[in-house]
Amino acid sequence: MEEHNSVNFMRLLSEESTLSALSSDSCEYYQTEIFDQLPSIQASRPEQDRQGLWEACEAHQGGPESGERISHGHLSRGPKDKAFTQPLRSLVMCLQGKRDARYRRKMQISNIDFWESWRRSQSINRKRVWAQMGGALSDLLPWQHTLHTIEGRFGVGVKAYFVFLRYLVYLNLLHCALVWAFILGPTTFYGRSNSSEPLKFGGKDSVLDFFHGSGYLDRSPLFFGFYTRGSLNLLCLNTPLLYLAGMLIILFLSLILVVRRTTVGFKHTWMLGKRYSMYVSYKIFCGWDFTIQDPAAASLKHCFIRNDLKLFLEEESFSVREALRTLGERVRLYLLRFVLNLIVLSLLGGAFYLIYFATITAQKESGHYWLVSLVLQYLPPITITFVNLLLPHMFRKISSFEDYSFTMQVNATLVRSIFLKLASLGIYLFFIFTTEHRQYPFHCRENRFGREMYKLCIFNFLATFCNVFLLNYPRKLLQEKYPSSLLARLLGKQRFLIPFKVLDLVYSQTVSWVGVYYCPLLPLIGAVTLMATFYIQKFTVLRCCVAEQRMFRGSSSSVLFHFMLLLGLLMAATTLGFNLYQLEATPDQNMSSCGPFGNGETVFNVTGVCVNSLPRPAQTTLRYLASEAFALPLILAEILILTSYVSRGRANQKAIERLKDMLVMSSSDKRFLVKQHATMLRRGRKPHRVCSAAIEEDAPPQTLEAPPALQAY
Amino acid sequence: MGTTASQLGKDLLSEYQELTFLTKQEILLAHKRFAELLTKDEKDLPNTRLPMERILTLPELKSNPFRRRICLVFSTSQHKDGSLTFEDFLDLLSAFSDSATMEIKSHYAFRIFDFDDDGTLDYGDLERLVNCLTGETDDTRLTDEEMRQLISNILEESDIDKDGTVNLSEFQHVISRSPDFVSSFKIVL
Repeated sequence: MEEHNSVNFMRLLSEESTLSALSSDSCEYYQTEIFDQLPSIQASRPEQDRQGLWEACEAHQGGPESGERISHGHLSRGPKDKAFTQPLRSLVMCLQGKRDARYRRKMQISNIDFWESWRRSQSINRKRVWAQMGGALSDLLPWQHTLHTIEGRFGVGVKAYFVFLRYLVYLNLLHCALVWAFILGPTTFYGRSNSSEPLKFGGKDSVLDFFHGSGYLDRSPLFFGFYTRGSLNLLCLNTPLLYLAGMLIILFLSLILVVRRTTVGFKHTWMLGKRYSMYVSYKIFCGWDFTIQDPAAASLKHCFIRNDLKLFLEEESFSVREALRTLGERVRLYLLRFVLNLIVLSLLGGAFYLIYFATITAQKESGHYWLVSLVLQYLPPITITFVNLLLPHMFRKISSFEDYSFTMQVNATLVRSIFLKLASLGIYLFFIFTTEHRQYPFHCRENRFGREMYKLCIFNFLATFCNVFLLNYPRKLLQEKYPSSLLARLLGKQRFLIPFKVLDLVYSQTVSWVGVYYCPLLPLIGAVTLMATFYIQKFTVLRCCVAEQRMFRGSSSSVLFHFMLLLGLLMAATTLGFNLYQLEATPDQNMSSCGPFGNGETVFNVTGVCVNSLPRPAQTTLRYLASEAFALPLILAEILILTSYVSRGRANQKAIERLKDMLVMSSSDKRFLVKQHATMLRRGRKPHRVCSAAIEEDAPPQTLEAPPALQAY
Repeated sequence: MGTTASQLGKDLLSEYQELTFLTKQEILLAHKRFAELLTKDEKDLPNTRLPMERILTLPELKSNPFRRRICLVFSTSQHKDGSLTFEDFLDLLSAFSDSATMEIKSHYAFRIFDFDDDGTLDYGDLERLVNCLTGETDDTRLTDEEMRQLISNILEESDIDKDGTVNLSEFQHVISRSPDFVSSFKIVL
């Protein structure tokens, strides 16, 4: 019996889900009359049908109560209560319907006491005020209109890039405010140490210094060395401590902001991920972007969606093909991938050597003609930018040989490019660290370091600028003027390659974070260059680019963006920590005589002095918090919390599975009963066509059988 | 009651603000755009119905593949001809506005995609939906084989109760997991 049931159940399922195998005389179960009368269907039925019924009713019986009875008659449980607490505008009905609902509500309110009605109207007013404030705030956001235009022409993906760019501008402005509050402000009010000479442009200074970051700029507030201990000289409130606090707050705040953005996006992606696999439905149901107005953009969007769906189907068949690969093919493929990965590694190695070479050459320069020396000074940034411009495209080519599926190809390219970007920066920093203090033992090290970051930042912006106005724009002009020429056809149409552009942004933000300790005004420079970048990129995208053939989803991409940003931030924090630690570990070698921590002071002894001046309980608490004894319970607590969350997640997962099973069961029950009812009706209607033999064969097993779910349990 | 006279009354305006997700400026703009579509004689009549063809000349709807469905869904006309009064038009804009809730948006999206108005998305609905998305002409359509594979994939994912169709709650279940939906289900004048 048990076996028979499960078979029967499976048959029911498969019969319904294949859909095509339904005979004409038994119409779909959801097109029968009784199906429309089911409570669950009534609850989700479009309001409009009810609306007609409803108005007719009101007209006849002349009372809103009757209308309400009908409209909510079937929604016996939740919806009625919900309908009364919901704001009117959130009801799914037409305006006239809402008006009637409001009228009924008013009747209701007149029945309830004065206090309740006052409370309701207050809550409505409050919500309205909030909504207005939100609206006013969103109007204040700059570039709203530009974003709208870009979205209309290039879709959500490109817009996500610009939103990310705007977010970075905000972040940098926030950093600027913090820098002013903690570092620049106190220095302005309380002055610097007496030994420091006043700031003046003159002497051997030249305009070139603004490119070198030396001379005048070296003495200016731009760099670490400017902020010496001034008249603000209490034990726990002095320039060095404020400087340190400002930097730590900047890094922590960035960490919190970026992590928050990453997790919000990650939650969505995770929910869309393999686990719940809503991939295709999502593409279909949320595929169309209703904001598109331009007919050309609309046809492009059609094209996107078509390509995307074909891509999906292709990948599906690709995975089938992959499963069918023979052993020999597999071995050959892995060998090929291994060789290609070796090539990638050697390319990376070559790039790193080039950076090393550039760093060494730049540090050897002395007494050249000014232009040569400028180029030499900028050699490392030029090399890094050049490498970062060229190699990602090579990676893109390489990954096309590896016989991965398309998304995998894109991801492989991206991961390699991220690695290249961050690692090249890291390698550069490492070379500066190792070569610097050997050559300039008693120079202000921090200033030199800050200068390198300053140069990277400036050059990165210059590269963006030149890339657009010397490369992209002429290319576009060439295509417009001579569309049939060989060169134009060879170059092809330009696309806005979002991942690479985002990598540029992440890179510049990482430079800004790494350098902010040594060059406190870097966030200001960053904010200004990012704003300029916004307009430059807007020009590029609107003037030079055609929309991409492949869709780039807004949400998944933003997770990736923020994740890269997080990597950059971690790198910045590591660099700073390493640098401070190195200072502490080898103080005699790295003794610096500039900035807030001059005169043999280090970060550690300045904070130590402050802590020692505190009252005893505070001292012990701080010492405990900083010790290993505190780390252990902290880790234990984290493990406990994590474990509880994981187990709760598992339990929920099981509950979801069971509920799904129950849903399948009850829906198959419903279908069974509806069908049964329909056949009985049909039989009742056509008594003359009763063929006894057919009933004998057909009906008894079905009528006697209980619904499948009942039997299964 | 609604009016399409050249000015909107103050009471009416505040009523519309209460009943829709639109701000005052948006309602006034909507009124202006709606009045532009009316002929001279119609302007003086209250509660004029704009025929669907004229609504579809709006640039915001012109290139939307679902434009006819949108009109049909928001129309309160008895003849089901997709004609809109000003209030229907406001309903439309409210559902597509920035501040409308996910609930509202997904509900209307479901009704727009439910081509045969039977309350569920069945194979036929999904097929028409995919055709709308990829383009209606023969060379842009997917082949029958591709279509079958695609729809069976969709049903496999989102048809939780395995009855061969996607109903409203299953649809909302999918939508609620997609962060991009609210930002793309938008028509702003």
